[in-house]
Amino acid sequence: MTIHRVIRKVRRFQGWVGGGAALCLIVGLYLGLIGSPPDYYQGEVVRIMYIHVPLAHTSLLGYLALAVGSAWYLWKRDPLTDNVCHAVAALSAAFTALALATGMIWGKPTWNTWWTWDARLTSYTVMLFILIGYLMLRTVIDDPEQEARYAAVLALIGLVDLPIIHFSVEWWRTLHQPQSISLRGVSISSGLLVPLACMSIGMSLLFSYMLMIRTQQLYLTHLLHAKKGRLLSQFHLSKSDT
Amino acid sequence: MTSCKIIRWIVWRDVVTEWRSRETISSMVFFALIVILIFSFSFSMDQQAAREVIAGIMWVAFSFTGIIGLGKSFSAELQNDCLESLRMIPGPKGAIYLGKVAANFAFMFIVEILLCPMFVIFFNLDVVEEIACLLVIFFLATMGLAAVGTLFSAVTVQIRARDVMLPILLLPLAVPVMIAAVEATKAALNGDPLSLYGRWLELLVVFDAVFLVVSYWMFEFVMDS
Repeated sequence: MTIHRVIRKVRRFQGWVGGGAALCLIVGLYLGLIGSPPDYYQGEVVRIMYIHVPLAHTSLLGYLALAVGSAWYLWKRDPLTDNVCHAVAALSAAFTALALATGMIWGKPTWNTWWTWDARLTSYTVMLFILIGYLMLRTVIDDPEQEARYAAVLALIGLVDLPIIHFSVEWWRTLHQPQSISLRGVSISSGLLVPLACMSIGMSLLFSYMLMIRTQQLYLTHLLHAKKGRLLSQFHLSKSDT
Repeated sequence: MTSCKIIRWIVWRDVVTEWRSRETISSMVFFALIVILIFSFSFSMDQQAAREVIAGIMWVAFSFTGIIGLGKSFSAELQNDCLESLRMIPGPKGAIYLGKVAANFAFMFIVEILLCPMFVIFFNLDVVEEIACLLVIFFLATMGLAAVGTLFSAVTVQIRARDVMLPILLLPLAVPVMIAAVEATKAALNGDPLSLYGRWLELLVVFDAVFLVVSYWMFEFVMDS
């Protein structure tokens, strides 16, 4: 078995992606933490936005990529796509958890509470639960083909469910009380937008870089297991001959 | 075999099996009674307070008992390799799904109907005028739970730790059903006019329709081997 040609191609590009991510993040952090003015209302606290918002964007993009990859897997049944999906799901879960954590840290000084059952927070948390369920489902199935199939089904069902969850949670909150705390109130000036865009691109590149490495890891592990299985079966056959 | 015939046979078979053993429905009812008992210990309530929280208690009890029923629906197929036989049915796999959804829905709905008088007695509720609205809400929400639950029952039956995985996978996906069912039930128990909570019923209808179609299609991938 030779290394997959896509993996070989990825290896050639991953340095550029990683370097780009480092560059964007360093420039974005410099602009965000030092170069940009503090917010009129929130003061220096607003600077956590440059971490929080890119993390949230990237994790949502990650879920979208997971759904596309899962549909592609169910269509083509390509094991490499399954490895990509597995890696994307784990990274998305990590980014989602980090975005929630930074959101809480931001929420404490500005909203005066760590947590509120705001519509966006709730639906985002449900998405994290779906991703964790997805990762747990993958650990309890032995057959790799079955694991890939079921995981893809769960990811697609989750994709269909997420908009419905979002609407239901939004109605649930707005029917009770007007949303007192909303992120939409903050309008963004260009001085904040440039570092934010820089961080968003950097975070997506970082996600892609980690995705490339993790995919290779999973792919090679599966390859190793397949080879080990074949060697073992040969060993047993030769033993039974004698 | 045509889809209609497959659906009919599967529903008939599940109902007959259930009728002979009476295992699933009795365990569901008994479990729900225990849940209600524990809730009445946890909150000491007068009738006013009961109206506030009763909808939530109801749907926690219904969804937990529903999970018991859904889990049994496919794990019963493991005996005598019935699952393999199901796979070999000529015709669309989705028909098996629809048959199972119908059977699960029927069991869950019957349990809910049986439990309703218990709520009325234990929590001193007054539901006579709103019973029609409540039945519609029960119908739609149970259909939603059965639609997603049956698919994941089929997924989890073939893996390790199936009893744990079913609620872990099902409950986050069933969040819209739970919210809509609780809000609509609360409004109906309050005696609100239908126009106030009609949008929750619409949401339930959309959820049911979307997930019956998507799961019908996905069941093909769950069952092939």
